[in-house]
Amino acid sequence: MSTKDTSFASTQFEPWRALVIYALLILAITAVVARLFTLQVLEKDSWLAQAEENRTREIISPTSRGIIYDRNGTILASNVAAYNIVITPAYLPNDQADIQRVYRELSAQTGIPTGFPLTDASIEAAKLVSPCIPGPGIAQMVYLQNTNAPYKSVKIQCNVSEKMALTVRQKAMNWPGVSVEIEPIRNYPTGSLTADVIGFLGPIPASLQTFYEDLNFVSGRDKVGYAGVESYFDEILLGRNGRRVVEVDVAGQELRNLQPPADPVPGENLVLTIDTRLQKAAEAALIGEVNYWNGYFGKVRISSAVTAAINPKTGEILAMVSYPTYENNRMARVIPSYYYKQLEEDPRKPLLNHAVSDEYPPGSVFKLSTATGALNEGVVSLSQVIQAPGELKLTESFSPNDPGNERTFVDWNPAGFGTIDFLRCIAYSSNVCFYKLGGGYKDEIPEGLGILRLGEYARALSYGRQTGIELPGEASGLIPSPQWKRINRGENWSTGDTYIASVGQGYVLATPLQVLMSAATVANNGKQMQPTLVHAITDSDGKTLERWLNVFADGHYTISSTSDLTALSTRQISPFSPTMRWDVTVDPLIAGYTCENSYCTPTDTQKTVRPDVIQKIQEGMRLAVTDSRGTLQREIYQLLEVNLGIPFAGKTGTAEYCDNVAQAQNLCQFGAWPSHAWTVAFAPYNDPEIAVVAFAYNGGEGASVAGPIVRKVMAAYFELRAIDAQQNK
Amino acid sequence: MRATYWRYFDFWLLGAVTILVIIGVTMIRSAIAGNIELTTTTPLVTRQIIFAFIGLAALLFTASVDYRLWSALSAQLYIGMIIVLAALNIIGGALFGSARWFQTALVFIQPSEFAKLVMILVMAAYFARHAREMTNPRWTFLSFFLMMGLTIFVLLQPNLSTSIVLVVLWFVLLWMAGLPLKHLLTYGAAGILVIAVSFPILVQVGVIQEYQLRRILTFVAPDPNARYGDTYNIEQALVSIGSGGWFGEGYGHGSQVQLRFLKVRWSDFIFSATAHELGFIGAMLVIVLIAFIVYRCLWAARISPDPYGALVSYGVATLIAFQALVNLGVNLKLMPATGLTLPFLSYGGSSLLANMIAIGLVESIIMRRKALEM
Repeated sequence: MSTKDTSFASTQFEPWRALVIYALLILAITAVVARLFTLQVLEKDSWLAQAEENRTREIISPTSRGIIYDRNGTILASNVAAYNIVITPAYLPNDQADIQRVYRELSAQTGIPTGFPLTDASIEAAKLVSPCIPGPGIAQMVYLQNTNAPYKSVKIQCNVSEKMALTVRQKAMNWPGVSVEIEPIRNYPTGSLTADVIGFLGPIPASLQTFYEDLNFVSGRDKVGYAGVESYFDEILLGRNGRRVVEVDVAGQELRNLQPPADPVPGENLVLTIDTRLQKAAEAALIGEVNYWNGYFGKVRISSAVTAAINPKTGEILAMVSYPTYENNRMARVIPSYYYKQLEEDPRKPLLNHAVSDEYPPGSVFKLSTATGALNEGVVSLSQVIQAPGELKLTESFSPNDPGNERTFVDWNPAGFGTIDFLRCIAYSSNVCFYKLGGGYKDEIPEGLGILRLGEYARALSYGRQTGIELPGEASGLIPSPQWKRINRGENWSTGDTYIASVGQGYVLATPLQVLMSAATVANNGKQMQPTLVHAITDSDGKTLERWLNVFADGHYTISSTSDLTALSTRQISPFSPTMRWDVTVDPLIAGYTCENSYCTPTDTQKTVRPDVIQKIQEGMRLAVTDSRGTLQREIYQLLEVNLGIPFAGKTGTAEYCDNVAQAQNLCQFGAWPSHAWTVAFAPYNDPEIAVVAFAYNGGEGASVAGPIVRKVMAAYFELRAIDAQQNK
Repeated sequence: MRATYWRYFDFWLLGAVTILVIIGVTMIRSAIAGNIELTTTTPLVTRQIIFAFIGLAALLFTASVDYRLWSALSAQLYIGMIIVLAALNIIGGALFGSARWFQTALVFIQPSEFAKLVMILVMAAYFARHAREMTNPRWTFLSFFLMMGLTIFVLLQPNLSTSIVLVVLWFVLLWMAGLPLKHLLTYGAAGILVIAVSFPILVQVGVIQEYQLRRILTFVAPDPNARYGDTYNIEQALVSIGSGGWFGEGYGHGSQVQLRFLKVRWSDFIFSATAHELGFIGAMLVIVLIAFIVYRCLWAARISPDPYGALVSYGVATLIAFQALVNLGVNLKLMPATGLTLPFLSYGGSSLLANMIAIGLVESIIMRRKALEM
């Protein structure tokens, strides 16, 4: 303790040693300050965003999708709750032992394997399994979810019983991370019976993600319409999810709203014009007939078939059955890939609504267009007699100067019908007669209708364009013209093309709905009503809303509470009021042509169809039922009208075809072509209230295959009408 | 005579310490707001304030005592500390999986905090005696065993981070005492070899816990498939610091702190909480104050009247600087997570008390620089 000590206190340690310490300290402090500056000043924005993300949580409260009813209030689509057991990996305990305990207890409760040990192979295997499909263990599912999104839950078991859901929810107090999720599931009580009309739901497609997210829908969770009216009316059925942005603390407790909250808005309900009872009868008639013939021939001969019923005075579709179809309840939770693949790869196209989305040669039912045109244009007179042998040799030429070749055109009845008048041409469905009316024949019919004029009348009866029914993917059919043929076939229009188009063959294509509409137009004295599936749109309290359907030129449509006058067409769909598309006897729809030697040039005039012409077509259809040689004499008159005492009218069709399916089966033999069976009919004849079409792909003769289907649907309709009348008394 | 000592009392140093403690208490108050457990049943703020006053008293008392007394008491301090630590290992309450605390009627006492002080005092006395003989490896080895005699008990608690602090204190004093460079390189090479061999064994035996190893591994090589919890808090610390910006989110208004996204924000991560609420300016104030305290200790070492005082000052400087830098390094994700707190700011009575006593030692040295000249 002497002053000497002081003198060497600072010198006794080598100064460079202290300098090393200073240097290290300065280095360390510089590093700390530089890092602090980088984080707080340079990278502030991204860290602030993360802090904001921490404290804000978006809570989407699901709305309930609108319910779909039939016209009598039968539920066709509703929502039911399904319970899923889910695990949120981030909320699991920190300790591995605790996690394993949770898995073991959960496994004991539910029977799902724990998945231990967690091997690479088991994880790879679990990657291949979609959620809700049993197989992988809990550990594998949680592991995969944890690497993807630890704060999102993974479904461990789907659609558990309510009892199980309650038990798990109680026990979840001791199982951090485990919870029960309530998922609204679409339920279709009528299932495959109405699947083609109702459709099904699926996940939000990536292309429409922004649209749905603006309505607060969550991709990957919420479902949207994929087919049928579920798709067409998705906009109104959807409603709008509620959304709140709240501040949460680390435990997830909600502290306050950061933005004004939006409550969920329930979707609007849809009441269809379909009568489920008639639909059921129609389905039974259709499938029964298909099975009968397939059984009779011992093979799948009729691969697809359609029947549909409409009120010709109002346009309400009462039934629409497409065969084969699918079970839309199987798509309720997830769309099972194997099932969807099976449906998609089925050559019979069960996912397609064949009544509106598929087009076929209409055959003789198309003769209604030819007959209307021929009579209206004066090609033929009512008193005129026409020779109708079993076959006819006609000249096929490709231009006015082409001398052409003789070709034989056959009738479906090889014996022919002898000498008949115009009405019996319709009633007997004489091909030879209609060849003559369409293409002209020597002095008997000096100037045929011609393809261009035929097209005008076909369009007036609904062919060649979409009917505008409220279903997605409607086909427009095809009315060929010389121009169409040059563009699409690279060939001139020939006289033979006109002959076969006159009987609905060749290039002519139509949807079953168009065929039904043509008959309905005739039945309703030329007034074509807008076919519709919508009877009403109601809010969640059941109050009927006023809704308009606006279709725009580019094909998109909107549903609004007032009519949108900027739209190409707008009509009130709710509450239901019949909308007329046009009246062929009033609206000048028919473009005028002057024709010479079967070649027509357009004039500037537009004309209407004379009311008496429509009446004669009706008479022709009536005669098909009542005349002893009429095509529907047996099926409709003898088997139905005699019993019911209600007058019927109708038209059959046997449409020869040769598509790729038929070719593959080697069915396309000249003179014995495979054919589709058609029948369309309406009743009561003097005051029609129902029109029915039936179609059977490769069904053969129209009257004997499609006829019974129409007959059974008609019978069911009038029986139901009688029941309703009795109840309303 | 006594009065003249106080004339040289370094009020700048005490001032810096006082400001830091006040910032610390203030931030603890903000950090635990809303947590009923930490505000009522175990009121952290009240406790920290009590310890701050006890610490202040202890600081002034230590300053008034001639530091050379501790040199004379080296053996007693050393043996006494070993007895306390050994007792703790045997009867100490197992808390959080480690026997670090003595539970008294009122508070937990963490003896390892005081072991750091004892390490400084004992090693300073030892090296002051042998400073001129350091070319002889004998003294180096002896000092190593002396150090390990204390450290082994802390390591067995197990308390890795405090053990590291003890080793660092020993090493810095050894370095200042004059450990020849050649020896250092030799020991260093040998040490790396020993660690490489012994580390896996230590883990196997259980001296180093698996969680400690995992922390280090997470830092060195982040596992892309790691559970979120492993990296959670360090990530939250970065979010807290980064989102502070220049001026912070405002005292009591930082969402990361108030909504408790940041864990242990009142102790290990109080710097993150401060940077979050007070911003770059506030964080820099803390760093500057700590740097000033360290600078003052190093200055004390330069003006110390004897080698013992100089070594004690270096020891205290190391104690403050090393703990602070490691804590900041963890907060800023510059190094793996350890349990080291930020001196004077973090909640912890024993730590605050020990650090203030350490400052008292330095004050005692500063006070006695001129007096001896008279």
